[in-house]
Amino acid sequence: MNKITSLLLLLILFTSFTTKPSKIITRQGQVSFFSYTTVENIEAKNNQVLSIVNLENNEIAISMLMNAFVFKKALMHEHFNESYIESDLYPKATFEGKIIDFDPTFKGDQTKIIKGKLSIRNITKNISIKTNITHKEDVFLISGKFDIVVQDFKINIPPIVAPNIAKTIATEFRFEYQPYEK
Amino acid sequence: MKNNLVTTLSVLVLLLLSQNASSQSLLETLDKEYPTITEYELATFKGTHLAIGQSIENRRKGTLQFMNMNRFWNLPDNTNSQSFIADRWNARLGLEYSITDRFTVGGGWNSFEKISDSYLKYNLIRQIKHSKKSLSVTLFQHASYIQKNSSLNSTGNLDDVNTRLAYTSQILIARKFTPEISIQVTPTFVRKVTPSSINPNNIFALGFGGRYRIKPHVSIVSEYYYVANPLESVETFGAFALGVNWDVRFLLLQFQMTNAVSMVEDRFITQTRRNFNSNDGNFFFGFNAIFTIHTKK
Repeated sequence: MNKITSLLLLLILFTSFTTKPSKIITRQGQVSFFSYTTVENIEAKNNQVLSIVNLENNEIAISMLMNAFVFKKALMHEHFNESYIESDLYPKATFEGKIIDFDPTFKGDQTKIIKGKLSIRNITKNISIKTNITHKEDVFLISGKFDIVVQDFKINIPPIVAPNIAKTIATEFRFEYQPYEK
Repeated sequence: MKNNLVTTLSVLVLLLLSQNASSQSLLETLDKEYPTITEYELATFKGTHLAIGQSIENRRKGTLQFMNMNRFWNLPDNTNSQSFIADRWNARLGLEYSITDRFTVGGGWNSFEKISDSYLKYNLIRQIKHSKKSLSVTLFQHASYIQKNSSLNSTGNLDDVNTRLAYTSQILIARKFTPEISIQVTPTFVRKVTPSSINPNNIFALGFGGRYRIKPHVSIVSEYYYVANPLESVETFGAFALGVNWDVRFLLLQFQMTNAVSMVEDRFITQTRRNFNSNDGNFFFGFNAIFTIHTKK
C-alpha cells in the first residue's frame, strides 16, 4: 500500500514537472510600419520587440516600446512620440492572443490565423492576423502583415497634415523565437 | 501512515507552487524581459527657439533649419497709419546646422539695426526619463555686430568698433515636468561696451521660460528676462513674451506678443526700451516660421 502511494505520488510529481509549459521567446523581434500617400511615404522600424509563445496552449503575447521605432528623419521620430502616439503617456503597444489550430510539433511551413487583442494608446481592438509559421529544429519563425486603421486608436491628426498620413497603416512583423529559459 | 500524509501534503504544496509559477500572464513575463537602458526625455520644447530666446533643444545631426523671424509694430501717435499692426517691420533671416546630435552652429541677419549674429550651442546634459532629479543643460555662446543706430533702441553713436560688438553667454537649464509642462531657467551674461561710460559693461540677467502643451501640436509659451544690473543711461525693461507655438510637420510656426523689438540676444535682454502693454509703439507682434530640412539620409 505504502509503496503504491509513493509511486503514485512520484508519478504526479513527475507529470506536474513535465507539463510545465514550454515557452519560446524573441527579444529582437521586428515590427515595421508604412504609411503610403501620394504626398509622402513614412516608414519606421522597431528591432527590439519582445514576444513570447506558450506552446502548451498556443497563446502568444507581444510587447514593444513605441519610442524604439526608428525613422529616416529625426523630427518624424520626435513628432511620432510627442504628438501622435504620445509615448510619454502610453509607452507600450501590446498584443495578446492565440494561434488558432497551431501544432507546435509540426516541422516545416504552415499558415495560421492569430486572433487577439491589440492595444495601442490604452485602446484595445480585436484583430485576426494571417501568419506564416516556420518550424525548424528549436527555432520558430512567425511573420505576417496586417493593417491598422489610424482612427481606431484615436490618434490626433490635424487637418492640415491629413493628406500626408495614410488612413490605414500597413504593418509587418517578423519574430524568430528561441526556447525560453528563465 | 503519518509519514505518508506528510509526503502527500508536501507534494500537493509543490504542485500548487509549480501551478502558480505558470499562471503568470505572458505579457507580465515580457515586462520583465525589457532591458534596462537609459532613456532620454524627448522634446522638452518643440523648437530650438522658445519664443524670443533660445531653448535647450538642439536638432539631430545633419539637420538644417531655415528661420524666418519677424516683428511688426505700430509707431506711436501715427494718426495717418493705414496698417493694422505693421507700420514697421523687423525681419531676421537665420540658419542653424547641427553638426552632431548635441552641437549646433547658427547665424543670422537682422534688418532692424542691421545686426549680423552667430552662435554655438552645445547640449551638455540630457534629462533622463523617469528620473526625479534629472535636468537638461545646454550651453550657448553668441556674438553680434551692429551697423546702424535706431532711435527706438539706441544708447549713443557707434563710432568705436568696440561699441558695435556684443557677446552673450547662457546656461540653459530645463526640465520636462510632465508631458505638458516644461520650465526653463537661463542664467545669462552679456558683455557689451556702450557709448555711455555710466553703463555697466558686464550685465547679468536671468531668464525664465515655460511651455504648456494644450494640444499635441500646439503649445503656449512664455518668457521673461530679469536684468540684475541694467543700463544706467536709458530706461530699460525686462523682455517679456507670450506666444503660441504650432508645429506642422517640418514647419514650426511661432506667434507671439512681446515688448522686445530685437531678435538678437544681447539686444533684447539688456536693451528692451518698451514696457509690455498694448499701446502703439510698445506692442510688438512676432511671427516666426522655422523650416527643418534633414540633409542626412
